[in-house]
Amino acid sequence: MSHRKQSISSRAAARDRGRARLRAATVSATAASLIAAGGVAFTLPGATASATGTSSGSGARSSQHASSSSGTSNSSSSGSLSSPTSAPTSSSGSGQVTSGGS
Amino acid sequence: MMHGITSSTALWYASRATGVVSLVLLSAVMIIGILVNRQGRLPGLPRFAVLGLHRNLSLLAVTFVALHVITAVADSFVSISLAAAVIPFVSAYEPLWLGLGAVSLDLMAAVIVTSLLRRYIGRRTWRAVHWLAYASWPAAVAHSIGSSKDLQNGPLLGLAVACILGVVGALAWRLARARAEVPRARRVPDLMASQRIPEGHAAGQAPQDRLVRAGRR
Repeated sequence: MSHRKQSISSRAAARDRGRARLRAATVSATAASLIAAGGVAFTLPGATASATGTSSGSGARSSQHASSSSGTSNSSSSGSLSSPTSAPTSSSGSGQVTSGGS
Repeated sequence: MMHGITSSTALWYASRATGVVSLVLLSAVMIIGILVNRQGRLPGLPRFAVLGLHRNLSLLAVTFVALHVITAVADSFVSISLAAAVIPFVSAYEPLWLGLGAVSLDLMAAVIVTSLLRRYIGRRTWRAVHWLAYASWPAAVAHSIGSSKDLQNGPLLGLAVACILGVVGALAWRLARARAEVPRARRVPDLMASQRIPEGHAAGQAPQDRLVRAGRR
């Protein structure tokens, strides 16, 4: 009888240990994911470099992103985007041209 | 020095970073799911905990995917509508690669929703829908590599290759285990042959059958 009770309690203890390990693994994975996301965001190259060159739309979009992120204050002070690094000259999506030109 | 991250580009960087983390998490979920299916174990974790880890990581991956989609849609420099994120191949920007992302998202949603409603829909239906994960993950990988140059070179390319190799390796292990395993239909005859159980004494054999055999004798 006592042997049976002992067996049940040891099983319950093993299950509790398993649950604690699962909780620890989940918390670790969540923390690691958040840290990784922050780290990746800081190590990612600039928006110009991240543009895919295969599609004309992406190139225009990303270059605008870069120019507007770095040149917003310039455009307000000088009044024009005189020499953008890569102007949205391609014949891609209209949405990109709108956001880049403003 | 914020490495190009400003208030106007924060969402763009957040979208890219959460996309990379989502890919890693989805790959981990795939690998653990394959392990669980074949009674695989992770060091230090009992089987029910491996199952729980698979579920928790899935929910974490879905959270990061949701953040990835929300930041991509909210980013003012990107003209991606919410509809384009959900409906495949309707985006004006990168229709193929974003379309694959939408396909992956939809399949993932089906897998998650049916898993949450598993007790109501039955095991067979749940299992059938769960197989869609094998279509969702490759679509996510193609979307990740095709839509962003971040994963096309440098250390992040290595990360993407590691994810692919990890899942392919787990899949190969699963197939090898499945091939080595005796099919269910052959298990009883094989067991009988190995233990030399006398005919008619096997468990599950109908008594009438035994009588018929005895009568024939």
